[in-house]
Amino acid sequence: MKTTLLFAGSLMLSATTALAAPSCGANTGAAATGTPIKVGGIFGNAAPGDFSASTTAARAYFDCVNANGGIGGRPIEYLTENDQWNPELAAQAASKLLKDEKVVAIVGNGSFVEMAVNAPLYKEENVMAMASACAVSECFESSNIVSTNQGPLPSTVGAAQYMVEEQGAQNVSCIGLAIPNVGPWSCGAMEGYMAGKGLTGSSVLLNPASPDVNSALLESIASGADTILVNLPAGLAIAFLKAAEEQGLGDTYKWASSTPLYDRSVPEALGAYWDGKMFINAELTPWDKGGPDATNWLAVMDAYAPAEAARDTFSQSGYLSARFFTEAMLALDPAKLDDRAAVTDAIKAIKGATSDLLCGPYYVGEADRHMPNHAGTMVVVKGGGFETVRDCYEYDSPYFAPILEQEKALGLR
Amino acid sequence: MRDIARNLALWAGLVTVLALALGHDKPLNVLGLFIVSGLAVGSLYALGGIGLVVLYRATGVLNLAAGAIGAVAVMVAWQLVQWGVVAPLAWALGLAFGPILATAYGRGIAPRMAWREPVVKAVASLGFAFVLLGLVSFLWSDDPRKFELPTDKAAVVILGLRVTVTRLLVVAAAILLVIGISAALDRTRVGLQMRALANNRRLSSLIGIPITRVETLAWALSGLLFGFTGLMFGDLVRLEPAVITFLVIPCVAAAIAGRLQSLPDVLMGGLAMGVIESLLTLSDTFKSVRPIAPFVIAALVLLLMSRGRRLTFAGED
Amino acid sequence: MQITRSGLVGLILAALAILVLPMLAGGQWLKIFTSTTAFALAAMGAGFMYARLGMVSLAQVGLMGIGGWVTLRLNHAFNLPFEANLLIGAAMTSVLGMILALPALRMRGLYLALITLMVAGGLEIIFTAYQFPNGGDGFWGVGTSFSATMRRPFLGQTDAGFLRYALVVALLGFLLIEGHRRSASGRAWALIRRSEAAALASGVNVTLYKTWAFGLSGLLAGLGGGVLAGSLGLLDASTFRASESVLLFALVVVGGARFWLGAVITAVLYRVAPGLLNNWGVDADLALVFFGAALLHAVITAPDGLAGQIFGLFSKEAAHDRA
Repeated sequence: MKTTLLFAGSLMLSATTALAAPSCGANTGAAATGTPIKVGGIFGNAAPGDFSASTTAARAYFDCVNANGGIGGRPIEYLTENDQWNPELAAQAASKLLKDEKVVAIVGNGSFVEMAVNAPLYKEENVMAMASACAVSECFESSNIVSTNQGPLPSTVGAAQYMVEEQGAQNVSCIGLAIPNVGPWSCGAMEGYMAGKGLTGSSVLLNPASPDVNSALLESIASGADTILVNLPAGLAIAFLKAAEEQGLGDTYKWASSTPLYDRSVPEALGAYWDGKMFINAELTPWDKGGPDATNWLAVMDAYAPAEAARDTFSQSGYLSARFFTEAMLALDPAKLDDRAAVTDAIKAIKGATSDLLCGPYYVGEADRHMPNHAGTMVVVKGGGFETVRDCYEYDSPYFAPILEQEKALGLR
Repeated sequence: MRDIARNLALWAGLVTVLALALGHDKPLNVLGLFIVSGLAVGSLYALGGIGLVVLYRATGVLNLAAGAIGAVAVMVAWQLVQWGVVAPLAWALGLAFGPILATAYGRGIAPRMAWREPVVKAVASLGFAFVLLGLVSFLWSDDPRKFELPTDKAAVVILGLRVTVTRLLVVAAAILLVIGISAALDRTRVGLQMRALANNRRLSSLIGIPITRVETLAWALSGLLFGFTGLMFGDLVRLEPAVITFLVIPCVAAAIAGRLQSLPDVLMGGLAMGVIESLLTLSDTFKSVRPIAPFVIAALVLLLMSRGRRLTFAGED
Repeated sequence: MQITRSGLVGLILAALAILVLPMLAGGQWLKIFTSTTAFALAAMGAGFMYARLGMVSLAQVGLMGIGGWVTLRLNHAFNLPFEANLLIGAAMTSVLGMILALPALRMRGLYLALITLMVAGGLEIIFTAYQFPNGGDGFWGVGTSFSATMRRPFLGQTDAGFLRYALVVALLGFLLIEGHRRSASGRAWALIRRSEAAALASGVNVTLYKTWAFGLSGLLAGLGGGVLAGSLGLLDASTFRASESVLLFALVVVGGARFWLGAVITAVLYRVAPGLLNNWGVDADLALVFFGAALLHAVITAPDGLAGQIFGLFSKEAAHDRA
């Protein structure tokens, strides 16, 4: 039922934008016919969750590029693998793409496990992974991975920053997963931000196997916080907020969340109780914000992706990674398109690319960490949907110091 | 009865000692919060454990697909509500999937592996769990969902914690089920037959107990319990089939607390596991590994059970 | 020492696998076969305990996690060669296995299986909360940046070399069990399986031999975990869930615990089959349905496992081996 409603919604959305034909790559209108250029992508889709929206969107964009002249007349052959949240399958997928298929780059990845497992291999193989849906620290602290989305850390810091600057939060309690490279990493940076402002921040870490979220809620209340920042996967976050609703805490505390709750089905799942109470950070710009890239993204999805494919943040992110990659390839010497080292250099040379889907510039650069996207938007759950409460703002935390240095060196600041 | 009182004293003693050890520097009302909160989760473990024990006693099968059956029940109920079916009917239909699936397995598949030993029967039921989990994950994409009952909205305040009627319902259901099923086993003819089967299957068949009928009844009853547990998991824990499927493992722990036979002990053990898990939140060391509580307790129960035992001849155990 | 016909076939196949497999497989299949080999080691341990002693361990994959954890921990803490890390990891797992054996002295059947299941459940929670060392600081050794290098054995620097190395380790594991089976331990185990009273009466030290069996099974699981760590360079808690341990044992039954081929089939079902389904583009959820159904089917139809059915085709040999 809901999926059909969503589907109808996206159809209506597309009706307003369908006037614009998708614009991709060289935009020649002629199909590319040359030898394919192999590009890989790894996504996770199995029982606990589905991150395939990013590779689906990247594939749609590449199909569109191929119908519009490709890369100098050569089509992109986009090979995707499902890691099914299994680290061994993730390693096998990367070996298949890099060693057997010899792809020149990895684009659009969306997974929880793949980046941590394969980061060393990407470095060893000198290939660049332009990921789109990352959730663990390795994704942002590796030399050969750059992600278009923000991941939990900036998103959590951004949400805390909004709550401090505009909602008067003094003491924030962050609820994260007790997995070292996820919860402690991102909630820890939030604590760093609060400490830097002379305020109090604390973390409550929840083992994902725990059926009982009530105790975490009680622990968080016991910390003396005035604001509770939920930094959990959507399913767990909804269970947590349901427990808070049971206790009638919606008005006693201020509530915020990192990006996982910015999902079309969330307002309905949360229910009317949270209307106007839940502030959520969005990593990319809101879906309905409009702008040339936002319009083109939907046009590409309508023309080249299956009708039921999600049009969410990960989809935006996959589209953007594919677009930036295509632009780097178009600028590359056509003789070097099959040379992985040259492609890697071309990707690393991306600097100051912009899109209305992102709040800041996108760049890669030669560094042992990459986090180009650290500015976002705050929305509030309102009337069964979302409403923007603060447009594009840059996050501010000691964690970003080395990244800002990098940007200075690249002349972006 | 004396056994029950003794075990109740033991469990209560264990919980009290832990509560004092972990929360001696906390105000009493904070401790109360964690205890009340833990009772709800504990009764969920107990509910699952009761279903497992009822089935195991009558059929000798430890059904590891219990969680998956519950997951199907709650997903069906949720979907029907989404489709606009009147809520009570939707819940009833979802619940009905419990006995249907359990009986289908019990009549269709389990008899074909009757010659296997109990452990193999138990691990084989994991195959059924995979079939169900795979189907459920295939049919429903992983959108965030919430399963609600009208009882979620009403609440009473106990020891400073608002406790929804749903949580009270789960605790009450677990207690009533234990009393009711125990009474039925004691007083009714089918109950007698089930106890006979639990004691000695070969002799039971020799004296003319209609094994198939009694077993089918046990499968259906356990399926109903799994379905109900699933609905409650969906409401109180979270509506994610993969999570609900594998919650069967702590439910097995609760079943072990009752030595796979005593329902009152399953209830007390399950509740104690929930409360202790919740109390561990107060310990900085054990906070992040709280869900380990049921496993540690179950392992200790097994160790105590086997104290002074000697294995001699390989039996049917 | 006499070599049976099936044993001879096994040795020839092992030699062929060691020589040919790494040459033929591509990058993806090298990884798949290495994982398969690692799980074959663990399956061997669970299989021999089940076939020789009738004891069921539902914590075998969890124990692999211990072996892997120690191997990784040592690798990032000291500058020891891979072999030392692997062996110490396996030895520590073996000790843990022996500790697990203490309750087993008084338990049998389902109850013994359940206590191991509780251990597996506990290990899953601990692995999730603390993850595996990746070169970070402190005792748990988990950092947020990408993993430090995992040193591989001298002969197994490349993926192909490492597969060959893993296969040799697995072969040694097989021979270790086979050696035990034919020696005094094997006879003691056979007696214990029939009746512990009889074993006691004939002067068998039941405690020692049961503990030894658990230790041996733990050693193999630890080796498997270490090999997996060496292949991937790091490990993730999701590999070592309690349900995976149960699944591995179910597949041991399906594969056929009595035969050397059983462990191979178990591991192939556990790792190669999902790899194939994934390669053929079968939806992951539907693959789970097929897998579950096939598991039920095999438990129903194959009393001695698939290996039993295969050897059944050469029935004289199988009858001889089963005696």
